[in-house]
Amino acid sequence: MIFSKKEKTILAFSVEKCTNCNKETRREFQAGDMLFAAGSGCIACSSPTSISKIFGQPKE
Amino acid sequence: MNYTSIFSPDKIFGGSGDSSNPIMWAVWIVPIIVFVFYGQRIQLIVTSSEINKNITKLQKYKDDTKKELLQYLQKSRPIGDVEKKIENFMEYFTIMPVDIDPNGIMPKIKHLLRIREDYTKKQVMLLAENLSAIEASKIQNLLEIATSLNMLHKIVRHLFLTAKKQNNFPLILPLQMMLPFIMEQAEALQEAVSAIKKGQPIGDGIGPMVVGKMMLKTEKKPIGLETVYSETDFEGRKLILLKAQGPNATVGRPGDAVEILVQEKKPEIIIMVDAGLKLEGETSATIAHGFGAAIGGIGTDRFQIEEIATRYQIPIFAIVIKQSIKEAITLMTKEIADKADDVESQIYQNIRQNTTDNQAVLIIGVGNTLGIPQ
Repeated sequence: MIFSKKEKTILAFSVEKCTNCNKETRREFQAGDMLFAAGSGCIACSSPTSISKIFGQPKE
Repeated sequence: MNYTSIFSPDKIFGGSGDSSNPIMWAVWIVPIIVFVFYGQRIQLIVTSSEINKNITKLQKYKDDTKKELLQYLQKSRPIGDVEKKIENFMEYFTIMPVDIDPNGIMPKIKHLLRIREDYTKKQVMLLAENLSAIEASKIQNLLEIATSLNMLHKIVRHLFLTAKKQNNFPLILPLQMMLPFIMEQAEALQEAVSAIKKGQPIGDGIGPMVVGKMMLKTEKKPIGLETVYSETDFEGRKLILLKAQGPNATVGRPGDAVEILVQEKKPEIIIMVDAGLKLEGETSATIAHGFGAAIGGIGTDRFQIEEIATRYQIPIFAIVIKQSIKEAITLMTKEIADKADDVESQIYQNIRQNTTDNQAVLIIGVGNTLGIPQ
């Protein structure tokens, strides 16, 4: 077809935001992730983080 | 007769300017006669093959979704013949009330939809042992997707077969025109399955995402089925925050909740945040402001909210985040997720502009709250 588009694979990501320094870390979505849930510690200041975003992006 | 001269390329293609060649005559006249008498039928054959391909696709979407639902159910402990139960569900129908006299039709529609919703919820709980509320809501959403795909497949197939049976080309034209839209919807539904199974937020969840964030660290109280609200303060105003109860895959019952909250809390304004369908050519994830109840569905909740707002003369402000049908029901895109903070600051801006100290504001996050707690 003239207007057919190539399907892209979508990957899901979770963004963890530090509650102290606001640093955002993006990682692949893991089963059980949900918004505002506690994440792993901040890589910059070791403070607690929470999941601020979950989204999909086409694989590059 | 000199046949050599008849079959010479010069004669056939009229190189010599002579149009009396019988082969040349046949080359032009025969197709004209064929197209006059069989044109529609030829067109029907060409169009049919395209529609047939799409019907096969719809059938595949429907079967795949059913298979995925069954596989998902196997993770819990299914009770009895779940395949048979699901097949029965997919054939359920709702008879809409008579609309010759539309007066008082909304409570009837609401009543019917509630019966269907409550019954489906009960039946879903009987599909597997010890289903949690979130799992049950996911299964219910998957079931709705399978039912919608089944319906689309049946309608398209019906129109196609009717046209074919009657050799009625004009009957196939509206189907041919509508099919790209139907397929877009079907593809979106099929792609939604993965996000729902994994409990990921979908584009429609942007409203609950914004309001859910505002509700963090506040006391949440249930109000109506699968709906919660909380109260907080903002620059001397009282904010009443309302959304469906996440992280379940539900839209809650905002209509009922608004009716109670307006009577109890007497808000000065209502702000509704929802995902809105964008027009083709519009940029996805743009934020638009407007007036009126921003809420989709069949219209019962919107009717209820409009009724109560009109009775108490409360202005309703709407903030919508534009997206396509596919974006609305599949995993939230980065562009939409990135707009959450913008929307929140625009809500605060709206509150500052339209209220004064000690006034109350009702803020509603409308949409499916899958993967979005509060």
